[in-house]
Formats: sequence, C-alpha cells, structure tokens
Amino acid sequence: MKQPLGLRLLAYSVAILVSIFFLYPYWWMLLGAFRPTEAVLTNPLQLWPESLDFSAFESIARVSGVPIWRYIVNSIFITAASTVIGVAITALGAYALTRRPDLLAFKMLRSGFLLTMMYPYMLLVIPVYIVIFKLGLLGTYTGIILFLALGPVQFFLFEQFFRSIPGEIIEAAIVDGASEAQVFLMVVMPVSMPVVATVTIITFLLNWAQWFPVLVISRSPDTYTLPVALLNMTGELGVNFQGIMAIAIITTVPATIVFLIAQRRVMQGMADGSVKG
Amino acid sequence: MSQTAVPTSASKVWVFYAFALPFAVLTIVFGLWPIVLSLIVSLTDSATALRPEPRYVGLENYRDVFGDPIFLRSLVSTVIYTVAAVVLNLSFALFYALLLNSTLIGPGRTFLKVAMFLPVVTPDIAGYAVWRWLFDSSFGAINAGLSLLHLPPFGGIASPDTVMIAVLVAELWHHAGFYILIFLANLAICDRALEEAAAIDGANRWQRKFFIVLPQLRPALLINGIYALIQFLKTFTVVVVMTKGGPNGSTNFVSYYAYNLFDQGRYGEATAMASILFFIVAAVALVAYRIGDRGSAR
Repeated sequence: MKQPLGLRLLAYSVAILVSIFFLYPYWWMLLGAFRPTEAVLTNPLQLWPESLDFSAFESIARVSGVPIWRYIVNSIFITAASTVIGVAITALGAYALTRRPDLLAFKMLRSGFLLTMMYPYMLLVIPVYIVIFKLGLLGTYTGIILFLALGPVQFFLFEQFFRSIPGEIIEAAIVDGASEAQVFLMVVMPVSMPVVATVTIITFLLNWAQWFPVLVISRSPDTYTLPVALLNMTGELGVNFQGIMAIAIITTVPATIVFLIAQRRVMQGMADGSVKG
Repeated sequence: MSQTAVPTSASKVWVFYAFALPFAVLTIVFGLWPIVLSLIVSLTDSATALRPEPRYVGLENYRDVFGDPIFLRSLVSTVIYTVAAVVLNLSFALFYALLLNSTLIGPGRTFLKVAMFLPVVTPDIAGYAVWRWLFDSSFGAINAGLSLLHLPPFGGIASPDTVMIAVLVAELWHHAGFYILIFLANLAICDRALEEAAAIDGANRWQRKFFIVLPQLRPALLINGIYALIQFLKTFTVVVVMTKGGPNGSTNFVSYYAYNLFDQGRYGEATAMASILFFIVAAVALVAYRIGDRGSAR
C-alpha cells in the first residue's frame, strides 16, 4: 500500500516527539552532571555544555561515609550473584515442575509461587524483613542475594520453553540409558542456551534496578547498591544536584549498555515472559 | 513435552524433588512464610510483634486502620491515582503501538522501539530522580521551557494541585514502554488480511483500526489492564523519590503510608494495611480477569 506523504510526515513527527519525551531526560541528566551548578541554574534548557565540569564526580567520592567504589562493587556483586543463583535455581525448579506436573507437591508449589508473585512486592518486603531477622541474615549479602533470586518473568520463560521441548528427545535419551541428571545437563541444557541467555540478561537488568529489598535488609550503607546510594543522597542535607545526576549516570549506564547490546532479546523475552502469566 | 509427562519409573521421582528443592525453599522462605507471618503480625500488638511471644489483639489493628482518617484519605487518593494512571498509560500505549505498527512508519522503527523501551530497563530510582529535578522550579527544564513559550509555570511536585500530574508523567515515562511492547506483540499476530479486506470494502483508516484491529487486541488489553491495575495500586518508588507523600499528604498512597508505619515500628498496623491492599489487588485482578474471560468466550 502506498501511503500519502503528508500522513507519513505527520506520523514521523508524532513518533519523534514521543521519542524526545522518552530520551530527553537522559540528555538532561548528562548535562546536569557535567555542567557547573550555577550554569544549570541560569539556563536549565541549554542543549550543549558550555564547559565540562568534572567536580561532581569528586564530590561523590564518598556518599553517606562510604566510598563510591564500594557501592559500585556491591551493585556488580549482588546483581551478578543473584542472577547466577536465580537462573540456576529457577531453571532446575521450572524443569522439574514441567517434567512432573502430575505430582501434587509440585502443583502446590506452583500455586504457592504464583501467589507470592501476586502479593504486592513492596509489602512483601515488610514481612521478609521479619523473616530475615529471624534467620539472622539481616545486614548480610546472603540475605539480599537470596531474596533477589526469584522472579515471575524468569519462571514463565523457562516453563514455556521446557514445555516446548518434544518429549521424544528425552525419551530417546532415557532409552539409551541416560540418568535424569544427564538428561537435564546433556540433552535439555544444550538446547536451552538461548532461553538461558535471555533470562540471564533480563534478570540482570531487573536486579540491577532493585533497591527496596536492599535498603530493608541492609543494616548500614556498607551493603547498599548504587540505586540505594542515589536515594540516600537525595535525602541528605544540602542539595548536591550535580552529584545526584552523576550517580544517576553511573547507575543508568551499565543497564543502558546491556539493553542496547541485547535489545531484541530483552524485548522479546519481556513480552513472552509476561504474556504467559 | 506438552502436558503428557514422559514416563519415568517411580524410583526416579526423588530426582525431580531434588531438582525442585532449592526453588521450593526460596519460594517458601521468601514468599509463603512472609505472607503467613504478615497475616499473623497483623493480629498482634506492634510493640510485641517481633518478640518470641507476641501479644495477640485479634482484629484491633484492622479496626484502627479503618478508623484512621489518614488511611482512608490515602486509600481514596490511591484509587483516584490508579484509575488515572491506568487510563493514561493504556490509551497512550495503545495509540503509540498502533502508530509504530502502522505502514506509515518504515525506516527507523527499531530506533523508535528502543527509545520507548529504554526507560523500562533504566533503574526507576535514577529515572525518577531526574524527573524530580526536571520539575524543579529553579533547576528544572520544564518550567524554563514553559516560560520560554510564555506559558504560566507548572507547580510540579511543589503544589498539591499539580503533584499527581507530575507523578503521572514520570510513571508514564517509566512504564508505558512495557504496555506498548505487549500491544506490539499482539499486533504482530493480528491478521493483516482482515484489514486489507476491510480496506477493499471501503472502510477508512480509523474505521479499520476501530472495528477490525481493536477487537483482535483483547488479549493485550486484558494483560495490560491487569498488570497496570496491580502496578499502580501499589505505587511506591516514585513517591519515595519525588514527593515523600507530600505536599500535604496528597500523594501519601497506601503502600507508602504502610511503609512509613513499618519504619516507625508500628508493625501491626503496617501489616494490617498490607493485607488490606493485598485483598484489594487480588480482588481487582480477579474481577478484571473474569470480565476479560467472559468477553472472549462470547
């Protein structure tokens, strides 16, 4: 179908306006961090920095008495560990649940998991604080990492994929004398690599952004991640606008890079993992 | 392997229990146990809630919560905000997904899709921190832009009259991409042939969208509707970063209020509020699901 030029121009103008709405905050954040505060106050709309000012990054060398590198290391460590552990545990669990959907215990486990995921997350954290307290894990990395490990999108993606594997492949391996562990590691896992990659990337992005459980389970800023440090900074006395924008950049850039590299996979996975729920 | 499980000998069942064990442990320890605990704590006196032998007070916390004018006001503003946010997000997402999917947009579609989805994967704290300052009266670009166009200044998060709008805009920025994505996924499996047939029969562009495409989008509308309702009923992060419930308690939504009580050690009332919100969320999700389900059976 050939489309009239006027209509096409209108469509593109609207799309560009909407994209500016989505992207302008990133540009403004960059400018805010690298332009001197006085310059931002005089002209908040400036589209290009008059001079580059790196003082913001010196001013955030320590936040709440803890060096910034510690937040960066915490973010990387907590996100990586919770992602690896979460993907492994969810893959094994979803696999068992799809192989033996007939077991009563598994039916109950699946319903229990779904119920948990329906419970308002923010409010689950309150009783989780009490549980973590009872387990003696308050203020520990272990508590934070284990809490972040499970998520609904991850589970649904694995479940959907494992259901799509033809039963004959598994049957053939069992006839050939493979044990269930061998079937999982040498038959199922190799064909599951694409979905494992998708789930890993999505879990990384979701966990990188997490802040509330980290704040609640922590006892001191020593276990804070970047988003929590950023939040803490907005509450501190005296407004360090440039510094806030600088931490916002450090928090945003890793997620942006991962997303840009894997955008097709991330969007496809997020759609698939949500439609199933 | 579909629904018919591959036959395994009975002795092998333990292998699957072993596979599922870590998943079960995490689900129970960080999911089911806290939910049960939350219900139990909501029946206890706050001061004794964390002690080994808490004092049980029955439904007193629930009575206190429903007798608390701040909570009732909080509940009303949560509902108003949720309705506004659901309508705004879904109508905007539907409109933009139709635009991106239309034959009018050709080159650059990938860029447009990446642009709309980037805010979804941007840590919400960072996004809202930037929006908080965009709305600022002295630093912000928004008021500077308005004065450039000789328009009256926007109160943003400083005024009780405009704070909801500011929060709505920031949340639209963060969440809309997800709803657009779900609509796009649905549009991708819509039957283009139907639209073309209608075009041949003389239906114009808007008639085709309304009578041919929209009915096919029922699954996406249902999913997005339920997700958005749940999402906005528990609005929290944006309040923590941008408004702290203010000004004058106008954005003191239920989950934020509950968290404040929790922070003050009022565990009993906080968990009672959590349970109330959970029942509202579950009921709303169920009703929305029923309505959608009945519609598709017709």
